[in-house]
Amino acid sequence: MPPLLRSKRLAMDLLRPLLPEREWDRVRAYPMNDVGLGTDAFGTRRELLGFAYALGYWLHRYYFRVVSAGHEHLPQQGGGVVVGNHSGVLPFDGMMVGADVFRYTEPPRLVRYMVDFFVYQLPFVGAFFRGMGQMPGTRRNFDGLVHEGHLVGIFPEGSAALGKKAEHRYELLPFSPGHVELAARHRVPVLPFGLVGAEEQQTMMTDLRPLARALRLPYFPITTTFPWLGPLGLLPRPSRYFIHYGSPLSIDPDALRSIEVRNHEIGRVQDAVAELLRRGQATRRQHAGGAS
Amino acid sequence: MSRSGRRPPVELASDEHDPGTPRAGRRRVFIAGARRRVAVHLIERLIANPEVEAVLGVDRGACPPTLLGCDPERFVFASADLSRRRQVDNLFLLDRFRGRPFDTVLHLAFQGNPHGYNFKSHEFNVNAAQHLLEASLRHGVGKYAFLSSDAVYRLGPRNDYKVREDAELNLDPGAHPILRDTLDAEFICRAKMDDPNCEVMVIRPSGVFGGGVISGINLLFESNPPVLPVGFDPMVNPTTKERLSRDLMLAIFLHGKGVFNVAGSTIGPLSRFFEERGIKPIRVPGPALKVANRLMRVLNMTRYHAGFHPKRLYYSLVLDDGKFERMFRSNAHHVHALDRSKDGME
Repeated sequence: MPPLLRSKRLAMDLLRPLLPEREWDRVRAYPMNDVGLGTDAFGTRRELLGFAYALGYWLHRYYFRVVSAGHEHLPQQGGGVVVGNHSGVLPFDGMMVGADVFRYTEPPRLVRYMVDFFVYQLPFVGAFFRGMGQMPGTRRNFDGLVHEGHLVGIFPEGSAALGKKAEHRYELLPFSPGHVELAARHRVPVLPFGLVGAEEQQTMMTDLRPLARALRLPYFPITTTFPWLGPLGLLPRPSRYFIHYGSPLSIDPDALRSIEVRNHEIGRVQDAVAELLRRGQATRRQHAGGAS
Repeated sequence: MSRSGRRPPVELASDEHDPGTPRAGRRRVFIAGARRRVAVHLIERLIANPEVEAVLGVDRGACPPTLLGCDPERFVFASADLSRRRQVDNLFLLDRFRGRPFDTVLHLAFQGNPHGYNFKSHEFNVNAAQHLLEASLRHGVGKYAFLSSDAVYRLGPRNDYKVREDAELNLDPGAHPILRDTLDAEFICRAKMDDPNCEVMVIRPSGVFGGGVISGINLLFESNPPVLPVGFDPMVNPTTKERLSRDLMLAIFLHGKGVFNVAGSTIGPLSRFFEERGIKPIRVPGPALKVANRLMRVLNMTRYHAGFHPKRLYYSLVLDDGKFERMFRSNAHHVHALDRSKDGME
């Protein structure tokens, strides 16, 4: 067996205990349209999906100890645009929402995020993201995913929101209009969520923009631990996550024809996410009160 | 009457014909680049088809040995330099074809091998594309098809999961000269796509597998061993020379014009295609890939040229051939001897 395959097998063996057998069954049961060589048209590979879910599940359950509510708003089938706030220097929030949706939907549903392009320039990372079914954020990719009835995850604040400084915690950056336009075009609902906890996993002090530009990254974080502790400094603190899903929002098709309508619809989505954030913070206070 | 003052051919193409409907009459086909593997395979299929009246294969050099046994009444091989306008014209005026001229011209003669590509090759590619198309229009040919390449698409992290015909092209002035010439040849064709009498097609195939085929992916697979960049595993949907020749048959026999992607039906990561064939590639860090490839070429371990399409081994390029599927493959039943099951097609 080639060394690369041996290492993959080893990694899978190491991750196997992280996921209970019933969850492995769910991974195996995940409906995937194989187009010939064990992947779907988007490049999703079941073994990588299992690999990522095993890791995500462990983080979800034991590290971030996610508390979530509102799963009844997630559709059992058909397309939808999952939209929420973004934060935390590294996108563990996306991973946790993905793991949460996969864990609490029946049949399991995979949120396929529209990912920033720079990710796909990175060796291993890009291939890994694609193997998990996460796609570069282009319109055609979105069209293809929704056309095949997938849930598409979008962070309308953009990847810049990951580099939010500590003093701007839980302030939403302006939402880009893409999610509303795409939802209107495909007549699919927007499924808002608010995630509380990721802002505390890292304390962002500043963003070294010249270095970020030189490295073609959206930001270069200076946190209380990075780069002082090396790559280990990027590891998040185990702050508890609170995820709330809101009612599906149907988008007025006129958003495609009128800027006013589009802005109004963006405002509705942003308000829904802000409300869910407030709900998450309230739940966190209750949890903190209960713990004390 | 055509401009040359001769009778119009058996059939003139026009906008009245629905795409995918069969062309009337028997085919008289001019194939430029007859020594290419795909062309040889195609000619064998054409000769076996009773709806084909005659085939003229043109290339530089001698007739490929496998075609020597073809019925001389139906297949003629001519050696000519297609970059010379006079020689191209002479082919259309051959006694054999003067009374019943060609109704289809297939340009497969594009020199796409980066090895030894020089000004002469460049001149040949540009001139041949121009002279063949002009001669086809002058002589009233009903269909002209140019076999381009999927290398014309811009490759990068922003690529769609399936690349359609209207995707961004690689117009980078620093691109390899072959790529620039391919695009020039495409544009020459596209400029004539509104011709009312000739259906001009540009066919962009994905990488082609097949013994001896000079395509990037085939040369990569024939390397010993193939070298890939570490940490990347692009999605591809290569085709085979059998499938491509079948698609070309459909292009010859059915109405339709425009730009079309054609690709294989299997989509997958490049590494899986290697695994399927029991090939073990070696991986090197990205910056060392070109050096490793150059060294291997010097040592005669590969004919693959990593500098021709540098991002090919990094980013996915899956061609969306839905347009060709709808217009041509779904109408394959109109074409004699193109039964899917008999053909072993997926």
